[in-house]
Amino acid sequence: MSFIKLMAKNPFRNRARLALSVIGIAIGIATIVALGMVTDGLKLSVEEQLKTGGADFVVVKNTTSESSSGSEAINEKRVDEISKMNGVKQAAGISTSGMTVNGDRLNLAGVNSKDLNMLGAKITQGKAFSADDKNELILGKLASDRLKKKVGDTVTLNGNKYTITGIFETGNVNLDSIGALPLKKLQKMDEEDGKVYMIYVKINSGQDLKTVSKSVEKAYPGELTSLASLEDYQKADNSLNMIETATMAISLLAIIVGGIGIINTMIMSVFERTREIGVLKSVGWKSRRILGMILGESIVLTLIAGMVGIILGFIGIEVIMNFSEIPIPLTFTPVLALKALGIAILVGIIGGLYPAIRASRLAPTEALRYE
Amino acid sequence: MNNENIVEINNLKKGFDKGRIKALNGIDLQIRKGEFVSIIGPSGSGKSTLLNMIGALDTADEGLIRVDGNDLSQKNDLSDFRSKKIGFIFQLHNLIPNLNVLENVTIPMYGNGYNSKQMSARAMKLLKYVKLQDKATRKPTELSGGERQRVAIARALANKPSIVLADEPTGSLDSKNGQMILKRLKELHEKENVTLIMVTHDMNVASMADRTIKVLDGKIQT
Ligand SMILES: Nc1ncnc2c1ncn2[C@@H]1O[C@H](COP(=O)(O)OP(=O)(O)OP(=O)(O)O)[C@@H](O)[C@H]1O
Ligand SMILES: [Mg+2]
Repeated sequence: MSFIKLMAKNPFRNRARLALSVIGIAIGIATIVALGMVTDGLKLSVEEQLKTGGADFVVVKNTTSESSSGSEAINEKRVDEISKMNGVKQAAGISTSGMTVNGDRLNLAGVNSKDLNMLGAKITQGKAFSADDKNELILGKLASDRLKKKVGDTVTLNGNKYTITGIFETGNVNLDSIGALPLKKLQKMDEEDGKVYMIYVKINSGQDLKTVSKSVEKAYPGELTSLASLEDYQKADNSLNMIETATMAISLLAIIVGGIGIINTMIMSVFERTREIGVLKSVGWKSRRILGMILGESIVLTLIAGMVGIILGFIGIEVIMNFSEIPIPLTFTPVLALKALGIAILVGIIGGLYPAIRASRLAPTEALRYE
Repeated sequence: MNNENIVEINNLKKGFDKGRIKALNGIDLQIRKGEFVSIIGPSGSGKSTLLNMIGALDTADEGLIRVDGNDLSQKNDLSDFRSKKIGFIFQLHNLIPNLNVLENVTIPMYGNGYNSKQMSARAMKLLKYVKLQDKATRKPTELSGGERQRVAIARALANKPSIVLADEPTGSLDSKNGQMILKRLKELHEKENVTLIMVTHDMNVASMADRTIKVLDGKIQT
């Protein structure tokens, strides 16, 4: 039997204890995996949104600059100006708002009918609205499922009836949960004539995305910001960073709590096997080998916990999201799994080190006298 | 060849409890290569302490101890010496409970350059020697006391030691099983020319040896 196999067998001697310590660490790892799936999903969704459809980048109000008024609205005149800039093929002003429909929240995007291509939405049932002065609406697939509305039905927005002309799909959870209506209509509803919240920009082929997006920013210093990548997005919106910080804090906590649990388990295990460790020394095992064995046992334990935790976290968050009202996209990547296993191994090393050192330093005669 | 000393001890002293207990109080002892020596004496006289010193499980406070050419008081890491030169048999078999008999015998071979196959093959040979080859895959708990002690003998021989040290090897056995273990040890000494040092309470057992050494209050009686 190889040394590794010999070592891997030891944690299975006391199965109840193994199960308890595995569960303790697995819960921490599961939390890390679940939160990781949420952050990764959100990131991917943002990236998708940035990439979806015709828009190459998005322009928003620069709210971090001192010269900004703090308002997030952009003067609609900018849309026209940007569309005439070098390298720009098309610019679309978009307004956003949230409404309550039959007690359900529905996020709305106002967009001119000629700019609907910029949303990257594929109409799968019915047709898109064609005029900008009619009370017409298209719904994302998820929104239509949730509201139980189909083509031809009407919804009441702010006291006015709107007819659903079509259902669209983008493949992006966030976009598929909204409704879109003519920009003018939404501006009127919100009493925000002449104001938009985002400008979707499409560049001419052959143009460099970075150059064009930067030139827009430079044309309106302190007023507008271009979001061309996930990094740009994270700079403009802190919520992703906050979730990531929270994940880090919880990971750290899981490492500490798990580490303490492992120290306890391994100290007990070493204590119970004092005599045996004395025998290993008497037959000539080096201190280093005993240290390696105990440390290895600790890592075996946390690796099992890591694998259990990954499965638990995966199933757990999927179940929770199944019952959740807000659609949060979940993504499970091999990188996340490796990260979870890496943390598990780290806990194994941190938690196993002290018991292993103690075992390796036991005096053989003392250990052999131990009853 | 036979008059070469494998163990050479001069004025060896060892105390415990910050010197309050004088376990060994000036031991002088020479043992020749291939000799079978028994150590006898009352409880607490220092027999185990002396045996542990010879097996490099503990270090002396004072005096000289040289075993098979190694000055033990000069060495820092004694694990290599223990692995290559010494085979220990204790009163309690001290087998590892979650490993089977064969695996227990392979334990001393780790780190000595054998692969798993070679270790198993050598362990099997040793189990044949103690006539336990058909129990190779049993767990220690499924064996009788005498059988466990025979496994311990096989384990002690794993690395072909030049000295076998036995601390009351029959102490926990009935007389029939005890006789069997003693027969094995005597045979080992006679056939393989292994130096055998055995601690015992029992005068009858002690008399099987070539020479009997009496220990009293940490000193050798002459
Ligand atoms: N690790 C230790 N710590 C403290 N005292 C010890 C230790 N080892 C041995 N002693 C003491 O040293 C003395 C000699 O002990 P030792 O075990 O060598 O006796 P022994 O002759 O083998 O006795 P027994 O026949 O009962 O096994 C005893 O007084 C014992 O209590
Ligand atoms: Mg003793």
